[in-house]
Order: sequence, then C-alpha cells, then structure tokens
Amino acid sequence: MYRLVPSVCSYCGTGCGVLFEVLDGQLLKTLPLKTHPVNQGKLCIKGWNLHEFVNSRMRLQSPLLKVNGRFHDVTWNRALQFTAEKLKGIIEKYGPDSVGVLVSAKITNEENYLLQKFARAVVGTNNVDHCARL
Amino acid sequence: MKDKVRDWLETGKVDLFLGYKQVDGHPLPHAFSKENLAELGELIVSPARYALEKLATEILAIKPALKIGILGRDCNQRAVNVLTVHQQISPGQIQILEVNCCPSPLRKHAACSTLQPQTYGAVKLELGVDNNMSVAQMDQFDQESLYSRWMYEFQKCLKCYGCRDICPVCFCKECSLENNDLVATGGLPPEVPLFHLIRAVHMAGRCVDCGLCEEACPVDIPLRLLYRKVNGIVKDLFGYETGGSHEQPPFSLLGESTPPEAEPHSKAV
Ligand code: SF4
Ligand code: SF4
Ligand code: SF4
Repeated sequence: MYRLVPSVCSYCGTGCGVLFEVLDGQLLKTLPLKTHPVNQGKLCIKGWNLHEFVNSRMRLQSPLLKVNGRFHDVTWNRALQFTAEKLKGIIEKYGPDSVGVLVSAKITNEENYLLQKFARAVVGTNNVDHCARL
Repeated sequence: MKDKVRDWLETGKVDLFLGYKQVDGHPLPHAFSKENLAELGELIVSPARYALEKLATEILAIKPALKIGILGRDCNQRAVNVLTVHQQISPGQIQILEVNCCPSPLRKHAACSTLQPQTYGAVKLELGVDNNMSVAQMDQFDQESLYSRWMYEFQKCLKCYGCRDICPVCFCKECSLENNDLVATGGLPPEVPLFHLIRAVHMAGRCVDCGLCEEACPVDIPLRLLYRKVNGIVKDLFGYETGGSHEQPPFSLLGESTPPEAEPHSKAV
C-alpha cells in the first residue's frame, strides 16, 4: 500500500539520490536519499519536485506527429516508422553528415552509449553532441 | 523491538508501522504491515533520520481511518506533539515506538545522524556563523558583526525550499514562502534576508529542533541555530516549551486551526 522507492533524479547529470513516497500506486512526494554518496541528503528545487512532472496533466503520454500544422497523438510504431523514413530520405539526399544527434544528461549512460552508437554505426556520422554544452 | 512491532500489528493497535530496512546498502524508511510480518526480521534502527511522522501525517491526510506506528526518537515525539496541537493529526493516530536517542557524555552528538559535528572552513568561521555554535556563543557577537555574519550565510541560499519541504512541522496549505507579495517565486536570488526571516518567524512555537532542515540545506546555513534563537525568545517571553506542551502556542490567539488537507497530486495545470 505504502512504499518508499529509491531512485535517481532525472533532471541533470549530477544524479542525486531520491526517495519516492508511493501510496496506492500514486506518487505523493519526493525526498532526498540521506545516505546517497552524491547528494548526502540534499536536493535542488528540481529534485524536490520530481513528483510534480510525473503527475502533471501536461505530461506527454504518447508521441505526437505534426500533420497539416497540428499535433496528433500517434502510436510509437507510427512515430518510429515516420522518423525512420524521414531520416533515411535526408541521409540519401544530403549524406550522413547532414544529421546530428544530441544526447542528454537526463538519460542513463547506457542510453547515451546506444545513441552515439546509433549516430556512428547506423547513421554514419560523428555529429554527436550533448545538451550540457548548449 | 521487533516483537513489539509484531504485537502492535497483530493486535491491530496500528495498521501500518514505519520503521527502517536496509535496501541496496541504504537504510530506508519502510512500511511494515500485517500482510508482510515476515519482513519484520529486517527492521532496523537507522543512523540516517527521516521524518517518519511527516510521512505518517501525509498518509493520514489521505486515509484518516488508519492508525500508524513509527519508530521514533525524541525529535519525532516532539514533532508529533506539535502536529497534534496544530490539529494535523488526532491524538493516538500516530503511535511512537521509542528508540534510543540520548546524547551521553561519551557521544555528545549521538542524538542525530552524525556522531561528530561537521567542521567548517576558515572563511565561513571568519565571515559567517559556525553551525556548531550555541545561541549563547552567537550572542557574544556585536550587532554589526551578527548582521554581516548572518547575511553572509543567507546570501548563499539556493532557494531550494528543502528546509521547508523536509520539516516535519511545515504543513501549511498556503506557504508564505510562496506568497508573491512576500517572496517572488520562480526567480533567484531569493529575497535576503526576508526569505529566512519569514521562515524563522513561522517556526516560533513550532520548530522542534530536529535539525533536519540544516541537514537538507545544500549550502550549510545554520538554520537550526536560527530557529533555536527564535524559540529561546518564545520560551523567555511566554514560557512556552515548543514540542513539550500540549497547549496551543501563544500565537494562536484567535484559536485558529488548520484542518489537515491532502495536497493535490499535481499543482501543474
Ligand atoms: S536534484 Fe538537482 S542537482 Fe541533483 S540531480 Fe536533480 S536536478 Fe541535478
Ligand atoms: S529543526 Fe528545522 S526541520 Fe526541524 S522542526 Fe525545526 S525548522 Fe523544522
Ligand atoms: S535549504 Fe538552505 S538553500 Fe535551500 S531554501 Fe532552505 S536555506 Fe535556502
């Protein structure tokens, strides 16, 4: 019924330890993980409010595709298919270096690894950069 | 301790018991219940303190029929007293299983998470306020030096609101620290020293000196000392011992009460 779930803040690359209060499957609050070596029981204002974006009604629940100037909810299959075709077309026409990949501090090491692999091995470009340099 | 909790859960004295359990090397707060009695073997007393009474109060705001037991030190007990005085919980809704706290001559700081007080750098000691100071020591500074030292501390504030969010006795539905007429929200730097003075004034007759705010402050502002000073004044002027009294604090002249109310799940629209 009531659980406390340890996790890592997804907002920036610092990676502070957090503890989620979950009551009946609903995320109630976020607490700093006191014994975490990175943040030692402290958080910034973003970390303290992680539950707000998880519960936000503004949160995107499915991919959006712009058709005739308006966004529409679409399935992941449709979104991926569409993106793959577009990318393919661009690469064929302008070459692989016309594509750049921005990785992120908000995702895991493994996901970042996969993204650079995608850029280098699938697309064929070294244009990989990171949101922290924006 | 485990037998007692088992007894409490089995007899229905409490429906839920908040204690601690070691998870992936971290002592974490954990809810024990009748359904998972086998887990009781893993119940521990944690060196890291969480405001279990705050967690319990949050659950009770949503499920008022529950009775919750918590593992508690003295500060938890004082906070439960204050929460009861301010009608956030009814007497008996939270039962405390007391665990050792007592600072002894051998371990002066065993009361809290840290056995040894943290030591601070030369610049802070020269320009700011040492977090380990007593109120009496702080009072030795002259006015000018007090002002500049506290301003040195306050201007470090990141406005993370951690001091408020972690505080077991911060429960107001509308927080003055988010009132745009007093403190502009959504911007930095915070109004210094207004931000801290508003909080200090609101902690008069409320702060139970648990020190969690100071532990949560990313920039080591000696918040506990500040609120100790404030509550020292409350005690001197009104003879009111915060956390130890079952009477309304001297500031509730109108007999105001703040009924508990579950926070909406999301403030975003
Ligand atoms: S709490 Fe703040 S500093 Fe820590 S990881 Fe999250 S965003 Fe970064
Ligand atoms: S010491 Fe800090 S966290 Fe504890 S009751 Fe006082 S203000 Fe709240
Ligand atoms: S915890 Fe410290 S930095 Fe954060 S708002 Fe409070 S005083 Fe400022």
